[in-house]
Amino acid sequence: MKKTFTILGFVFAVIATLLAVLPLYKFAFIPAILALIFSVIAFLKARKKNNSTQFIQLSLLLTIISLVMCTYKTVFIKNEVGDTVKLEKREEQIKEDAKEELNDLNIDDLDF
Amino acid sequence: MKNLLFNLILFLSLSFGFSQTNKAFTFGENLTFSASYKMSGILTDIAEVKMQTAKMNTKSGTLMHLKTTAATYKSFDSYFKIRDLYESYVNPKNIKPYLYHREIDEGGHYKYTKYKFNHKTRKVEGLLRQKSENFPSGFWDRKTSVRFSYNTKDLVSTIYYLRTLDIKKAPIGASDTFKIFFDNKETQCSFKLLAKETINTAIGKKECYKLAINVSGSNVLKGSNANLIWLTADENKIPVYAKFKIAVGSGELKIKSATGLKN
Repeated sequence: MKKTFTILGFVFAVIATLLAVLPLYKFAFIPAILALIFSVIAFLKARKKNNSTQFIQLSLLLTIISLVMCTYKTVFIKNEVGDTVKLEKREEQIKEDAKEELNDLNIDDLDF
Repeated sequence: MKNLLFNLILFLSLSFGFSQTNKAFTFGENLTFSASYKMSGILTDIAEVKMQTAKMNTKSGTLMHLKTTAATYKSFDSYFKIRDLYESYVNPKNIKPYLYHREIDEGGHYKYTKYKFNHKTRKVEGLLRQKSENFPSGFWDRKTSVRFSYNTKDLVSTIYYLRTLDIKKAPIGASDTFKIFFDNKETQCSFKLLAKETINTAIGKKECYKLAINVSGSNVLKGSNANLIWLTADENKIPVYAKFKIAVGSGELKIKSATGLKN
């Protein structure tokens, strides 16, 4: 049983760390909490039987790193739109082309 | 005959109302939204969506340029960059479209679409452009000519047209169907008034019309009454919040700012 909790704790800790690095870092909270629960259970069981806890400590370390990373990103990182110069240039070009096409169109129902 | 008349009156009273003169928006309106992706109850902001209106002077008169752009946030650009442009040139009074452009660039997938609406012949001249190595220009162009029904609009003009409808007269449960020209064919889209709700938004606490959107024959939006839009229950009818269900997870669109409002 201890082995199962140790493996589950490590797997979720790795998933949480990977997600915390990616832009979808908010999703890291779920595996991080699961990793924390499983690792703590495994840690308590290992201590009770006087077994080595080094591997479980690694899982806990990864979990803490991922939790700190995603909490920091959630609180301090502001959402900013990246480079849109290319899009703006295309918008201008499309607008110029549109103007020519609309001038060629015979729109007779514009009653002003 | 009596039954027919009764049904007709009933239908008219249940629908939002027919061609309205635009009293909801004017040139120079800017709406900014934040698009989020939701999975396992966690929301992550992924992109910014802007909706803008501008004046376009042509030889025939002044048209309204309706432009919608979507761009992913910086943190997502290296993983899945989105730079989308949707625009429509319409009659500012009845939102009848004349020219529609859609240029999407999503994670390297490029597609350009142009529809020219000829309301006299009821024909849409279309141009579909995709990247292809088989052509010297690097693009594969396909020209089409398709007939369209009365009152068919493009995607952008339909969203704006919805704002021109007299929703305040419609009872809860009322619905209306629109024809949208998308991907070179007409698609039926229906809107149903579900409720009147007051919600908190970035532009304040607003009383809104909660509408459900259903697109028939589309595999983009999933679920029945799972795609919702909240329009402010005032003369501007600003889309302040939207919820949509897609194949994997769901999404939300929340207003960040609104300037240049008509009323």
